[in-house]
Amino acid sequence: MTELSLRLAVTFAQIMAEMGIVVITIATMTYFERKVLGWMQDRMGPMEVGPYGILQPVADGIKLFFKEDITPAGANKAMFALAPILTVVTALIGFAVIPFGPNITMDVFGITVKPFVVSDINIGILYILAFASIGTYGIILGGWSSNSKYSLLGGLRAAAQVISYELNVGLAIVGVILLAGSLSIVEITEAQTGGFWHWFIWGARPDGFFPIHTQIFAFVVFVISAMAETNRIPFDLPEAESELVAGFMTEYSGMRFAFFVSAEYANMTLVSCVAASLFLGGWNAPYPGTIFGYVGLEQLAWVEHIAWFAAKVYFFLFVFVWIRATLPRLRYDQLMRFGWKVMLPIALANVIVTAIAVYFFPRG
Amino acid sequence: MNFKTWIKTITFYDILVGMKATMSHLLHYRSITLQYPHEKRTLPDNYRGMLALLRYDDGTEKCVGCDLCEAACPSRVIRVVSAEVPGEPTKRYSKEYYMDMTRCLFCGMCVDACPVDALGMTREFEWAVYDKRQLHLNKEQLLAIGDRSFPVREKQLELQHPNVAFFNVAFKNLPQKPV
Repeated sequence: MTELSLRLAVTFAQIMAEMGIVVITIATMTYFERKVLGWMQDRMGPMEVGPYGILQPVADGIKLFFKEDITPAGANKAMFALAPILTVVTALIGFAVIPFGPNITMDVFGITVKPFVVSDINIGILYILAFASIGTYGIILGGWSSNSKYSLLGGLRAAAQVISYELNVGLAIVGVILLAGSLSIVEITEAQTGGFWHWFIWGARPDGFFPIHTQIFAFVVFVISAMAETNRIPFDLPEAESELVAGFMTEYSGMRFAFFVSAEYANMTLVSCVAASLFLGGWNAPYPGTIFGYVGLEQLAWVEHIAWFAAKVYFFLFVFVWIRATLPRLRYDQLMRFGWKVMLPIALANVIVTAIAVYFFPRG
Repeated sequence: MNFKTWIKTITFYDILVGMKATMSHLLHYRSITLQYPHEKRTLPDNYRGMLALLRYDDGTEKCVGCDLCEAACPSRVIRVVSAEVPGEPTKRYSKEYYMDMTRCLFCGMCVDACPVDALGMTREFEWAVYDKRQLHLNKEQLLAIGDRSFPVREKQLELQHPNVAFFNVAFKNLPQKPV
């Protein structure tokens, strides 16, 4: 067995494991969202399939798999088939650069593998932004190729909304990149080691406690813009049920519809992972070191790190659901005004202030 | 915009108040909905459900075919075909009795109009069907609904009390006034 084929096999196994985790998270989120939303609105949520409706994602999956796959008359068939694939692939592909455990290496049959990140490329965050932009094409194509006015309106809205909010996401990230001095998510996370005051949301320098490089404004801008970019309530104008039926997904049914829905949840999970890695220290615990390390079980520290990362990601996912239960949908002009006249100036000012702060108080 | 409003705007104060409300509902979760097919809410005492035709305790129909229910019905649900009881020229009954329940609005006016209390409102409400022709009920179906909803039946009119209405009772059955 050559080294290349071994490396391919190991990477493939890593991708399979990571996809398994992501798909399980998506299935859990569909159930969790309906349940929490129900509880917040004094309802019960799904209760029929299995105890407390726990098998509802399975039932939904089976139902969508066996549903009729309809292509509307006059639709552009190739684009209509391409759109959901493009959306779901770009949503899932971003997880390749997310480190969900510590940056350790291990030897597998003589080759060096990082077990908790599929591919530690040095432009990780840029890669995620690039694929998020391509994912927008899936929505626009789905809206345009359906030959339906609701879908077209949804696609147009998605185009304008996602592009304008992606700008804010990019600018909010710039501050973090200035602090970490790297585009690799692994290195950005490693730069936040050693207690919660080193997380970039507070931004204390490695030798002190004073939050001189705080990125809290960038954090708020990032979370709000991420919510808009993943088309979540209150920014779900592309799929506004009450105005556009289901927006760009109106004409989709069966597995293609399931692709769009799972892409939405995968995008939610992805931006949660990015927010946790960039602003809340990723796998780092909020105290220096790990408890396992203090009691002498250094080889088990990765369990604690993964648990902290999962806790942060699920906290963000819960906030997504919480916001959905609370806020009504924005009007279109409010959405645009908020994005361009509120979020963008804050993000720009944050970049300038952070740049000046890093210049006069360099890190380490 | 004064300073206080400005602070509230930049800290998303109003949104946080709303999020506090939803969170308090999550923490003090008490469902106000029912799992309908498994749990059913208790109906009020004066609940007006499915209509039914009733019988006396000896199994004879109460209906005398007077058409007053048909006249009282605002939605023209009821159609009565009245006829004489064979062999008893003074006594009438409903030869055919139809109710088109697709139009019924459950106002209860037919029940009020009936002089012999031959109509009743049951507490049945689960009458969804796949074919709406199944909601065009004839006399046998309406009597069957009455049989299963009102197991306790009244006595014949003439056997209840001497002062109960005299009309529509066969002469041979007229109760004797005490002398």
